[in-house]
Amino acid sequence: MPGGYVDKILKVNLTTKNVTTEAIKEDVAKKYLGGKGYAVYLLYQYLKEYERRGLSPQNIDPLGKENILIFATGPGTGVPRFPSSGRHHIMALKAPLTGSIGSGNAGGEWGAFLKFAGFDGIVIEGASDTPVYLALVDGKAEIRDAGELWGKNTMDTTRALTSLVGGKNTSVVCIGPAGENLIPMATVMNDEYRAAGRGGLAAIMGSKRLKAIVVSGDQKVPVAKPEEFRSVADRCLDTMKKNPVTGEGLPTYGTAILVNVINNAGAFPYKNWQSGVMPDADSISGETLTKDYLIRKRACWGCTIECGRISSVKSGPFQILTAEGPEYETIWSLGSACGISDFGAIVKAHQVCNELGLEPISLGSTIAAAMELNEKGYIPAEDLQGWALGFGNAAVIVDAPWRTTYKVGFGKYLALGSKKLCELYGHPELSMTVKGLEMPAYDPRGIKGMGLAYATANRGGCHLTGYTVAPEILGIPEKIDPLITEGKAQWVKAFQDFVSVVNSTVNCQFTTFALGAKDYAELLSAVTGWELSEDEIFKIGERIYNLERVIMNRLGVDGKDDTLPSRLLKEPMPEGPVKGHVVDLEKMKEEYYKLRGWVNGTPTPEKLKELEIEL
Amino acid sequence: MVRARILLFATLRDKYGVRELEVKCDGTVRNLIENTAKAVLDKGFLGHVYDVGRNKVRDDLIFSINGRNIKDIKEQIKIKEGDTVAIFPPLAGG
Repeated sequence: MPGGYVDKILKVNLTTKNVTTEAIKEDVAKKYLGGKGYAVYLLYQYLKEYERRGLSPQNIDPLGKENILIFATGPGTGVPRFPSSGRHHIMALKAPLTGSIGSGNAGGEWGAFLKFAGFDGIVIEGASDTPVYLALVDGKAEIRDAGELWGKNTMDTTRALTSLVGGKNTSVVCIGPAGENLIPMATVMNDEYRAAGRGGLAAIMGSKRLKAIVVSGDQKVPVAKPEEFRSVADRCLDTMKKNPVTGEGLPTYGTAILVNVINNAGAFPYKNWQSGVMPDADSISGETLTKDYLIRKRACWGCTIECGRISSVKSGPFQILTAEGPEYETIWSLGSACGISDFGAIVKAHQVCNELGLEPISLGSTIAAAMELNEKGYIPAEDLQGWALGFGNAAVIVDAPWRTTYKVGFGKYLALGSKKLCELYGHPELSMTVKGLEMPAYDPRGIKGMGLAYATANRGGCHLTGYTVAPEILGIPEKIDPLITEGKAQWVKAFQDFVSVVNSTVNCQFTTFALGAKDYAELLSAVTGWELSEDEIFKIGERIYNLERVIMNRLGVDGKDDTLPSRLLKEPMPEGPVKGHVVDLEKMKEEYYKLRGWVNGTPTPEKLKELEIEL
Repeated sequence: MVRARILLFATLRDKYGVRELEVKCDGTVRNLIENTAKAVLDKGFLGHVYDVGRNKVRDDLIFSINGRNIKDIKEQIKIKEGDTVAIFPPLAGG
């Protein structure tokens, strides 16, 4: 067995209560690594089996028993000194919010501790009739009754299970009431404050009545070439320490530092993307967070970057003693997107989201869409029930999470997500989504490569899949002009392929501000014992991305879905440094499909053969 | 002479104790930075922001004029009356 794996995948069928394990298949691991890659491979096997049984992938209910949920780690996870390797990746055949592939990634400790408990990953099939949780302790796994936990928020659930199980290296991943209530924006939480947020993965757990998974153990993760690994890892950690982003920017300010950077570039979406400039962005910036709200930093397991924040709001109507974050995306979605500049309200609303297990990017974007619908007079008064839903009303974002979770008042409409909400009120064009997933905090009218990245990300409107913000705005690894479209396709493809490897190694994407594919090749070679080159790293990533796209095609997604909302394609930016700009998507898309070897968003047989993907 | 608005962010703000100031200059970036150094009462500001040897803004900063990064501006750079110059030290996010 190669190093980096503990050679055990847990398979749980919640309908039959059958619990089995299987070994890692080395030939699969060599092609797909682990984490997201291995999970994509497994999901494809399920898809094929369902098709063989006559169940069309397009008929699979995201909240039904046939949906598959996989928690995965990779060969880097839980290996001491492997940079920032406490993370795990979650994949699902279908995400409730989008109806296409579900994918999420979270930090904290749970990923590393899953390995220490003796497992590389967990595959969840079927659904239980009654609430249950899984306990994975010292290599053994049990399904246990979760009746007493059902209804509890994520903090109480985490503390109850940590206390109950005790032991060493104990960590909990769980859902809150939002997941139990099948809200399509429900997020899976771990270690109290970390989230695998997008697409409603927690609603899948809710539909399976799986409340939580607690892990505990002390198993060591083997390393094939320990001395070589130590030398490579130390060099990488030193590189990260000396890098101004991973060594200074992120530790000092957290991700919130981006607020002023992106706003200055005129690409900070304001009031449901009606503009890219927020007039008082500084009041919700990283600088303001650090000066007025920060208590201390917080790091995930094995991470030297320490981008996590612990904050407090000392006084006022949104006073709160401690809360983790907020991150850049949350500050944007509950702040600028809704026209809100009250930082205290954002911190409080974020805490409430975490407790309930609700994802702020999609929630905030849905509130913003509802605000615009209401200001334009499209929502009847009886639906609002007196709620003052308008841009700039800070009380709305603090109120909205529990209304949405319990479908109270207008909350039952917010709970639909912005796409269905806007369709319901006859204005689908006001939903700022791609493939049903709300886009994060970068307006591609000012950062053109992100337009292509959003349009072609397999899971929908996602910034992490192809983060061209790095070269376009930050100048990492080199500066490219954000307002041109030429050459963006190769950047988007390169990022998508490389990030697929990062999500399959399972460590943190932020390491890539300092480390490149060559570093990953050396780290993974030393851990696994395989001889991996930089080219092979990119090929593995390309393979994973293409197989994920094959699954998407089978779920009914193709080139027509690789697009953007009409606001970004047709409404020129009204003000600011990128006034007058729209996204010229078609040119970039044509170049991208050519590079990818796709036709109409579908990999060709030749491309699949080249990548050794066996269908 | 023209007047420009200088915005400092992140560690630059902490180090020089100022968020925003108005500075006069002869229209060149170098003179703007030299005069900003005088305004913040710290000669070190010039070397912090400008590569004197190569006579250009330091590569590792984000230096923008009216929101446009100086590295993306193809035409000859001239500071005009009322321009806003924003300076960020190296940093990032997600």
